[in-house]
Amino acid sequence: MNNILAGSVIEEENCLTFVELCAASNASEEHVISWVIEGALEPVGDTPEDWQFPGHALRRTRLAMSFACHLEINPPGVALALDLLDQIAVLKARLRRTGCHSFAGHR
Amino acid sequence: MSQDADAELHFKEIGEANAVLKDPEKRAAYDLVGDAGQEFQPPPEWGGGFDFGDSGGNSDFIESLFRRHVDRRGQDQHAKVEIALEEAYSGVERSITLRVPAIDEQTGRVEMQERVLNVRIPCGMHAGQHLRLTGQGAPGKGKGAAGDLYLEIAFHAHAQFRTEARDVFMDLPLAPWEAVLGCTQPVDLPEGSVNITIPAGSVAGRQLRLKGRGIPGQPPGDLYAVLSIVLPQAVSEAEIQAYRTMAQAFISFNPRSPMKGNLL
Repeated sequence: MNNILAGSVIEEENCLTFVELCAASNASEEHVISWVIEGALEPVGDTPEDWQFPGHALRRTRLAMSFACHLEINPPGVALALDLLDQIAVLKARLRRTGCHSFAGHR
Repeated sequence: MSQDADAELHFKEIGEANAVLKDPEKRAAYDLVGDAGQEFQPPPEWGGGFDFGDSGGNSDFIESLFRRHVDRRGQDQHAKVEIALEEAYSGVERSITLRVPAIDEQTGRVEMQERVLNVRIPCGMHAGQHLRLTGQGAPGKGKGAAGDLYLEIAFHAHAQFRTEARDVFMDLPLAPWEAVLGCTQPVDLPEGSVNITIPAGSVAGRQLRLKGRGIPGQPPGDLYAVLSIVLPQAVSEAEIQAYRTMAQAFISFNPRSPMKGNLL
C-alpha cells in the first residue's frame, strides 16, 4: 500500500531558482536566459545566480519550451506568443468576472 | 569525398541524438540503462522512425553521450490533477496513476509500467498552481538523485462558480423588486451557506464582495457575487396589469436614453 505523499506548493511569490526552473521545465539555461532577455520571463534578481521566478513562470517556461522545440519559434516569437496568450487570458478573466463565462470557458 | 563521408556521419549522429531526445520514452529508456556495458534492448514496437536493431547499430556517439555522465539526476516530470473547487477549500487526497518506463527484469527490456501515487493536495491550491513532490520524478542514473514530480492543479468545470487565482465568482440572479428594494438572500458557497444582504438600489452587473470567502490562503481569496436582474414573464391578467401599473409609474423612464438619440 502506498503512503500518502505530501508535496510542497509552488507559491506565486518568487520561489523557483534559475537552476530549479531549468530542471523543472527541461529547458536549457541558454533558452531560459534568451527568454528573460526578450521579456517572456521576468525574474527578480540581477544575475542568473540571483534570479527568483514566480510560481506561474513554470507553466510559462514549459509553454515556451514547447514553442521552441516543437514549433521552432525563436525567442522574440516566444515572447510574442506568450504575450498574446496573456492578453487572451486577461480577456477571458474579464468575461468570467462579468458573468459571460460561457464564452470564456471554466477554470 | 572525405568531406562528404564526414558530413554523412555527422548527419547520422545528429539524427540519432535528435530521435532519442525528442521521444520521452526513448530518452527515459536511455536514462534507465545502468552502468556502462549494460545493453539497451528496446521493445519491437519502437521501430518507427528510428532503428534500434542490431544490424544498423547506433554509433558510439549516443552511447558516449549518455555514458559520459554516469551519475545523473533523473528528469523532472509533470502531470495534471483535476479536483473540485470545494476540495480546494478542504484539501483532498488523490490517487494518481502515472505511466513510467521501467526495465523488465526477465526480458531486460524497457516497458511502460503503471505507478500509483497517493497524494495529499493541501487546501488553498488554485488552478494553474503546482505541487512539487520531491524525488518522485524519473529515477536518476547511477548515484544521481531522482527527479521531482510536478502536479499542476486544475478544477472541474463548475456550474455555479468560476475562479481567477484564489478569487471565486458566482452569479446571483435577482427579481427587479429585490434589486430595487434590497433583500437578504441565502446563498450556497463552496464551504457552506451564508446570507448575503443586497443593498437597495442595486443594478445588474454590480459585484458584492465577500472578503476572505474565496479559496483559502495567505491571504485568502475573495468571493464575488455578480448581480443580474431577471424579469418575470407576465402570463396572468394580474401580472400583465402589474407591468401596466409600472409603465404608468415610470412614465418618464427611457431605457434607451444612454444611446443619445440613436433610437427614437
